[in-house]
Parts: sequence; C-alpha cells; structure tokens
Amino acid sequence: MVFISILLNFNDLILKYYTIECIGNLNDSEIIEKIKNAIIEGISEEAIVAVNTALKGNIETDQILNEAIISGAEEVGMRYEKGEYFLADMLLAADAINDSMDIIKPKLKNGTHETHGKVLIGTPEGDLHDLGKTLVVALLQGQGFEVIDLGVDVPPDMFLEVAKIENPDVIGISGLLTVTISKMTETVAMLKREGIKAKIILGGGILSEESCKHIGADAWAKDGWEGVKLIKKLVEVV
Amino acid sequence: MPYNWEASKRRMRAALSGSLEIDRVPFFPLACEEIICRISGKTLRELLSSHKAYANAAILTYEFLKADTLSIPTAYAGPAEALAFAEVNNKKDIIKWTDYKVFMVKQGAVCKTEEDIEKLEIPDHSKIPIWDTCISAVSSLREKTGFPQSCALGIWSVVQELRGIQAYRDMRRNPDLLLKLCEKVYESQIDLYNFFTERVGPSRTIFFTGYAFNKHMMSFEDAMKFEGQFIKRLQQETKSRIILHNCGTTPYFDEMCNELDLLAINGSHPLDIEYWIKFKENHPDVTIIGANIDVSRELFNGTPIDVENKVRENILHLASEGRYVVSPICCLPWGVPLNNIMAIPKAIKKWGVYPIKFN
Repeated sequence: MVFISILLNFNDLILKYYTIECIGNLNDSEIIEKIKNAIIEGISEEAIVAVNTALKGNIETDQILNEAIISGAEEVGMRYEKGEYFLADMLLAADAINDSMDIIKPKLKNGTHETHGKVLIGTPEGDLHDLGKTLVVALLQGQGFEVIDLGVDVPPDMFLEVAKIENPDVIGISGLLTVTISKMTETVAMLKREGIKAKIILGGGILSEESCKHIGADAWAKDGWEGVKLIKKLVEVV
Repeated sequence: MPYNWEASKRRMRAALSGSLEIDRVPFFPLACEEIICRISGKTLRELLSSHKAYANAAILTYEFLKADTLSIPTAYAGPAEALAFAEVNNKKDIIKWTDYKVFMVKQGAVCKTEEDIEKLEIPDHSKIPIWDTCISAVSSLREKTGFPQSCALGIWSVVQELRGIQAYRDMRRNPDLLLKLCEKVYESQIDLYNFFTERVGPSRTIFFTGYAFNKHMMSFEDAMKFEGQFIKRLQQETKSRIILHNCGTTPYFDEMCNELDLLAINGSHPLDIEYWIKFKENHPDVTIIGANIDVSRELFNGTPIDVENKVRENILHLASEGRYVVSPICCLPWGVPLNNIMAIPKAIKKWGVYPIKFN
C-alpha cells in the first residue's frame, strides 16, 4: 500500500516536472499566454506551474500581474457578462487567480508595486451567506487590491472599528436576505455618522439602485463581477 | 367580524385555476419570521415554543396584512432544513439564533468535506423539534381557518446552505459528488413531504423554491441537472402541482415553464412590466404570483402612493383575464413601513375588483 502511494506520488512528481520542462521551452509571451489561459479556464494547477516557470525565467512580476492575471480576470468577466460563463466558472477562475497571486505576492511586496486600493468587506449581522462576498474577495485580490475580509455576520460596530484602524478606500457590505436590509442601513448610518470617509458599496440582488440611495451608500452592485468593476471605479474617485 | 378565510380560499383557487368567478385580485404576501415577530411582538423562540402560539401569531399577521394566503414560514432559502441536517449530523453548534429573525446555519459548514457528503445522515423531520412545531402549526392553521396548506420544498436552496460556495466548484470539478448531495437533499425533502402529509393532510400544491434557476448563477442545463430533474421526480412521486418561487434577479421563468409543468410562478424579476405582459401571452395557463413588485424598491423606499401605483400597474396589465395574484417579493423585511405594506390591499380594493375597469 505504502509502495503504491510512493509510486503514485513519484508519478505525480514526474508529471509536474515534465509539465514545467514543457512550459520551460516556451518563450516569455507564450508563458504569459499560458498563465492567462489557465486563469480563463479556471485550472489552478496549470496556472501555478506556469507562474513558477515564468518567475524561473525571470519574467517581471508586473508583467505576470498585468498581462496574464489581470488580463485573464478581465476576459473571465467579459465572458460572464456575455452569458458564456456562470458562477462556477468565475469561481474556478478566481481560485486560479488567487493561487497565482499567492506565488507572486511576496515578490510584489519586495518591489515597487503598490496595491490598487484597500477594500474592507463583510456580510451584515444576521446573514451567514458568503457566496457573493467570497467571489468578490477572490476577484479583487486578483486585480491587485488589498482586501480585509471580515467574514459573515458582521455587526455594525465591527465594520466601524476595523474601518477606523485600516482606513480603507472602499467598504463593501454584501447580503443575500431581505431581512438583513435593516442591518445594512444601521451599518451605513453608523459609518457615516462616525465620519468614515471610505466609499460604501452594497452588494446583492435583494437591493436596488433606489434602496442603495435610501440607505445612504455610494453604490450598489447586483452581482460579484459588477461589484468588482464598481469598486475599481470608486477607488479611482477616492 | 371574523376574517373571511373562505373568501380568500375562493379567490386563490380561482386565480390558480384561471376562473373569472372571483370578486377581486388576491393578495399573497410572504410573511416570514421577521414580520410575524414584528406584528405579534414575540421573539422567534417564543413563537417556536408552541405550535399553537406560532399558528396564532401567523394568523394574526396575515389577517393584519389583509392577505388571501396563510402559511408558516419554513420554506425560504432552507434555514430550517439546514438546521435539520445540522442537528442529525451532530453540528448543532453552527446554528445561530437571533431574537426577531430566522435562525441560520453557517453556509457550507454542514458539508464542508467530501466525507461529510458521503456520510450525511438524512433527517427524520418528525423527530426534529422545530419541524415538529412548524408542521403542527401548519396543521393548526388549517384546522382554525380551513385554509388549504401547501408543503414548501426546495433542492438547490438547501444544497447551497449545506455545501456553500464549494457547490459551485463541485459543479465543474466533481459533478457526481454534487449530484450525490442533491439526491440526499431530495430524499430529505420526500421525508418532509411525507411528514407534512401525515400531520396536515395531502398537499395538492407544492411551494417549491427553485433557486438554481438564475441566469447569472448557472446555465439552464445545469439548473435542470441539479434541481429541475428533482422537480420532475417530485411531481411524479407526489402528483402535486408546483408553485415555483424564485426571488432572484435573473430567473429562467420562460425556460422553466417550457420544460416543467408549473401551476404558478412567484417572483419579482425582471422588473420590466413588458416582460410580464409577454410572459402572460406565452404562458396563459401559468398563474403569475408577483410580477414586478419588489420589496427593496417602492415598498422599502417609496410612499404608499408609489406602492399603490406599482400595484395598479400590475393589475392593469396582468389581472383582467385572471390568473394573477398581487405579491411583493420576497419576505417583508423589518425596515419596510407598515403604511407601505398596507397600501397593497388598499390598491387592490381600488383597482383589482372584477371585472377590472380602468378609466
């Protein structure tokens, strides 16, 4: 049994080595294309191998980030908008983006790279659903944002406390249930009252443009991808 | 004067069967735990302490709202079903209680791993205290008012509660595992249906929460694979008619009506009234419960006049030939002013009396 397991692991190692070697024969733009395609197809394993190969070949981290990761994420978003991609495809792409980012992040920090902005995000008190939020977090990280994820069921004063310490550019509150609208309202009112300058974006199909205004937030996104696009715009304004 | 539930029953029957032997358009609010707590002044724990207390609070709420429907909120998004799974799989600690809202289970915590799915125990609903209370309360509603009760079921809403976002990864990477979970949820829904039938009596209609059927979430083929096929099986097994609820923003209503045998649909999107006019033309045998009255719009931000106008628009375009029920979607949240809610029955009285005439 142990022998079989060693054999299987050995095979796996050979396969990985072979894959790296194969990719190793590609030129820089082909490797970048390989990373981008792995992200679009949502195949984390391939993205990891290709990113490692790119770094080994001394491709600049900024080039990997901009031409492969961000560009791949944008293609995924476009396919989603066209109705070719669905939540499952977005999520797998987001996983591939995050796995790639985990590899290049330490190198970005050592260099001159700056994040595109800081986003504080959470699900309002009383709501334990995190589908939309998880997707937004993954996509934002892949777009070079620093994200502080407070998780689910976050009371208004926790949003406030962390916002005071972290001074984010944008605060995102994402909810699924109509019953959590009152908590969103309470959270936004508290943040505004306490002078938090960050732009506030609400997420979830339970809301609308009108209810967002009524609550006093700066923007509303009906789904995860729209949320990412709006946050980018809000950060530019900030 | 006692509330005339008999008249409400006649209205709903007529609207669902397409008969014009009806005095006015019926009103179908989704009164979930929060609004029942708000109107009765009781916490959820108090309501769940006795089926009689819960039934009385529900009747009080629906009568206060001047509704033509009556139910116990067990259906939406599957918290009570997730709780049942959590209890029988020794994960009680992940249930979160609040005073005036529905209890909740952390999404994805019941079936975190593949092993959790493989070993997932199916709840016996008669042995889950909350379900025992809820279904007994449903029985009380029926006894006290004579109003027929529908069993409320769903597959994807429960799958999402149990497996969380991982369900969407499974959809591409391990669809067989995901189908296994769907099968287990289906088995549990049948147990619930049987428990309902034993305790309350036959359910001629099933209020089915079909959350898989949203265009931004999955393809129609996937929605059929992971939820639609179970609706078909459910219909074959129970011989009940389906009222399909979907409060998402991009529902596949047309496609569902083409593929499934639906008695009615209950939703509030798309918001464009033209869509609903066309829907009625294309699916004349399907009753619309809702159309474009959304709780997060006029009801939440507007005035009673705004709400009246929205109800008027729906009645004007959709009610004259019958098979239409006014229904704001989804559950009425805490922050909606009561005056706005009460503007709905007022508008129905003004505009929704048959034969419907507009100047």
